[in-house]
Amino acid sequence: MEPEQPPLELQETRAAEEPGPAEPPHRHPVRLIVRDDLRRSRLTVFFRALLALPHLVWLVLWGFAAWTAAFANWLAVVISGETPTTFHGFLGAYVRYTTHVYAYLLLAANPFPGFTGKPGYPLDIELDPPARQSRWSALVRLLLAVPALVIASVLAPVTGVFGGGVLLVAAFLAWFTALVLGRVTPGLRDLMAYGLGYTAQAFAYSLLVTGRYPDSDPDAMLTRSSAPRHPVRLSFDDDLRRSRFTVLFRLPLTFPHFVWLTMWSAVAYVAAVANWLVALVLGRSARPLHRFLAAYVRYASHVSAYLFLVGNPFPGFTGRPGVYPVDVEIDGPGPQRRLVTLFRLVLAVPAFLVYGTLSAVLAVAAFFAWFAALITGRMPRGLRSLGAFAIRYGAQTTAYWVVLTDRYPHALPTTRIQTPDAAGREAAPA
Amino acid sequence: MPGDLELRNLRLRDYFSPRQLDRSEDYERFFRIEFVVSQVALVVALALYAWRGARFARESAAGRIGTGMLLGMLGLAVGWLSQLPFRVVEVWWQRRYDILDTGYVDALVDNWLVLGAEFLSICLALLIVMGFAGLFPRNWWLPAAPVFVAIGALLAFTLPYLGDTERLEDSALRANARQLARELDVEGIPVDVEEVSDETNAPNAYAYGLGPSRRIVLWDTLLEYPDDEVLVVVAHEFAHQSRDHIWKSLGWYALFAFPGTYLIARFTRRRGGMAEPAAVPLSLLVVVMLSLAALPFENAISRHMEREADWVALDATEDPEAAQRLFRRFTRDALAQPDPPEWSSALLDSHPTIEERIAMAIAWQDRRRGP
Ligand SMILES: [Zn+2]
Repeated sequence: MEPEQPPLELQETRAAEEPGPAEPPHRHPVRLIVRDDLRRSRLTVFFRALLALPHLVWLVLWGFAAWTAAFANWLAVVISGETPTTFHGFLGAYVRYTTHVYAYLLLAANPFPGFTGKPGYPLDIELDPPARQSRWSALVRLLLAVPALVIASVLAPVTGVFGGGVLLVAAFLAWFTALVLGRVTPGLRDLMAYGLGYTAQAFAYSLLVTGRYPDSDPDAMLTRSSAPRHPVRLSFDDDLRRSRFTVLFRLPLTFPHFVWLTMWSAVAYVAAVANWLVALVLGRSARPLHRFLAAYVRYASHVSAYLFLVGNPFPGFTGRPGVYPVDVEIDGPGPQRRLVTLFRLVLAVPAFLVYGTLSAVLAVAAFFAWFAALITGRMPRGLRSLGAFAIRYGAQTTAYWVVLTDRYPHALPTTRIQTPDAAGREAAPA
Repeated sequence: MPGDLELRNLRLRDYFSPRQLDRSEDYERFFRIEFVVSQVALVVALALYAWRGARFARESAAGRIGTGMLLGMLGLAVGWLSQLPFRVVEVWWQRRYDILDTGYVDALVDNWLVLGAEFLSICLALLIVMGFAGLFPRNWWLPAAPVFVAIGALLAFTLPYLGDTERLEDSALRANARQLARELDVEGIPVDVEEVSDETNAPNAYAYGLGPSRRIVLWDTLLEYPDDEVLVVVAHEFAHQSRDHIWKSLGWYALFAFPGTYLIARFTRRRGGMAEPAAVPLSLLVVVMLSLAALPFENAISRHMEREADWVALDATEDPEAAQRLFRRFTRDALAQPDPPEWSSALLDSHPTIEERIAMAIAWQDRRRGP
């Protein structure tokens, strides 16, 4: 019942054939490596938080040393424009070790990590050798790093502020999954890997290990992941250009859509109940209800894409497909398992939890993107892709609970889709 | 109000200290200039928007009406931006004269929320206009105008239920107010208090609602005045209700709505008519020009009703002394200039001048004493 990761060879050829639209022009000097096989030992999972305690203590001690070294490193980079090799090695190891510890704590990896940050852990960080950095950027680095650190804090609990909701919820769900199944789902694992990878990039940038800004584009982070084909898919045809004037007034411009969406939601809830009853009896949703609810899901996605700057143009009020550049494709009514339908709302609770935290990410990303778009007239690609992921997950969650599909939303943040033969088996709830 | 009423010329120095006269004159002169400049800025901004604004249609993925809504909201945003510096200057000026207590940030945030409400209103208005214009490209205004009037009536009816006010608590004042209501045939209309003292020191009151939602509202800043003066205000507001001024205002609104919407339809024809989103930017300019043109008429109508309310209040309270003291306070506390330039009161003032209001109280006294 569990999909294994598709064979790596297959993924790599696909990636070579079709470099995703979000493939960065240059690879990031701080890269995430995932060699994890999803298996978890139930015993260590059960006691995971306790088992991680020595690492957390050691990490605090290492943290003092690292931030002291970072200060020296900062002086060195401001003066010479380059990180001395010693600092690069030490701080790089600190970034790696932090990633290992949190990967272990949050169940994104299985084995007990070593205490030295040596490369080779199943969830690892690969670093390029030191490169020249702009001294001006180094001078005000902590200031420049604030948006990245805030986004990292909302994603992962590593910085200790804002709670790191996304990964905490993912770890909470992974804990139960691993205890029951002895493994975690690829969706949860990759969601956590993504959050940890982004945090590592944000740390490496703040500590001046690299001069490259963190890239929040999930496809660039998770180069080897692809998701099974889902009946609810997000497509975006967006050139990142943003109109400064509508960006400035984006929130009030969305007000009429809030009003309309609220009214539409009220009707959609009733329609969802009707659709639920139909699916219970017929084993599939009724075509008119399906069409209506699909339009509702699309419309809601258009509105949040507009509000959160993932899309540029003002959306229409009808949820018509193929008009908005950030669009949701929804397959027609298919058979749905009656048992899954019966307990639909209960089953949707984990997805609601994940989506709740992802919407915080969406809002924070939009907050920073708002300034960027206002100044440059462009949406940063990474933030756009991160936002698109959150919107896609939201659309899949809604589609699930309004009984448009019985396929669970998948938490895997990538837009790459597996070939049919690789995704032949049913996807697990993620 | 008797038609043959003749008001005496007052010697203002008998009523106000030279300092009060100077201060209110300085205070209000600024607003007159500011008003003219801000309206020029608004018209210029909207003229530019009418000229180039239709380009923003490419920022829309919505249909005909949705795109029109976007253009309408952006037009309001342009207008809002053009007025922003004036809002800041107004706050500065009012704070300088201790009329306003709010900070700049608060004032701008409030302003921003108001903008949100305006965005929603213009979307509704454009939905009506562009919806009808899709069906009747030339004559949409015929069905649209009654809908606007109906919405106006609906708003007039519901606003009191949405307002953030509380019942008047002072029992002595309430008993006297009930007495006045009985005299003016508006028994059962409640007296509410609105808390504004955190933001402003200026006194004010208003009457609103239709039928069962009718009520009058006093700002809590007014309650610091002696009871007999507050009762003059209460009587004035009750007079608005007993003389059906809200219905009459709606009637006037209806009278303006038909020619107004017709003119909008007429002027936007060369942009393809109101069925086209491209006509929306121009229509905003037309609306602003028309309301500026209508302002003197509106104010003349309003002043007429205010005079009537003052006179009815004098009849009801039979206390011209209190009325005079009250009006003098408006100059002292709210810095209302007693004798603004004639062009200004004719074009811009919705109420009679303080000088006129005091003179009316005296005229009432004279009549009572007999010739
Ligand atoms: Zn009045």
